[in-house]
Amino acid sequence: MSQIIWILSFIPDWFWTLVLIFGILGTLASWVLKFIPFISTYRLPIQVASIIALVVGVYFQGVIANEAKWQDKVAELQQKVAEAEVKSKETNIVVQEKIVTKTKVIKEKGKDIVNYIDREVVKKEEIIKYIEQCPVPKEIIDLHNQAAELNKAAEGKK
Amino acid sequence: MKYLALIITTLLVGCSTAVPIKPTFPEVPQVLKEKCENLKKIEGDKVAITEMLKVVIHNYTLYHECSTKVDGWQEWYDSQKKIYETVK
Repeated sequence: MSQIIWILSFIPDWFWTLVLIFGILGTLASWVLKFIPFISTYRLPIQVASIIALVVGVYFQGVIANEAKWQDKVAELQQKVAEAEVKSKETNIVVQEKIVTKTKVIKEKGKDIVNYIDREVVKKEEIIKYIEQCPVPKEIIDLHNQAAELNKAAEGKK
Repeated sequence: MKYLALIITTLLVGCSTAVPIKPTFPEVPQVLKEKCENLKKIEGDKVAITEMLKVVIHNYTLYHECSTKVDGWQEWYDSQKKIYETVK
């Protein structure tokens, strides 16, 4: 059915309006203008043709209206999608900038703390004494390193 | 006339058609696609507590960087969801 409608959609809209008008006029004429000799002679064929034209005309008016409605919906949706894509790109820029700024601050703060250790902490007498007398036991280092690689243990168990 | 009304009504029953528009999947910011770095290990057998502390600080930094990315993913998802819910 849709293929037939598609083929018929090549016929201009005004043609179906004419068919509808013909159908209405023909139907009215066959009922009202019975006294005219031509119409009274061919009343039945005129009635049949007019009713068919009326039905087809009304149907295609519906098709035209429906098509227009869908075309409007498509246009509206296309507009919304285009707007959403623009908004999406703008949001991406905002998110990206926020992450870059935060990461930069985190890195700088981390470096500041390490620099503070090198600059100030290692010079304090009690720290120097502690470093000299108490190196970190190997077991503690190994445990730290194991913890740092927990993700690898999880990957190995997959 | 009864049949005519019936035929017209039947023919005018609306057709449902899918709208041929597909929104594209939103792009993800490049920074979110980068993987989180692996944590740093302490090198050597005899290590001073300050050296160990530096590695710990480095690892905290990596954690916070990665956490920022996760927050970014959540923000990205929420905002994109809001945007694409308007397309209906």
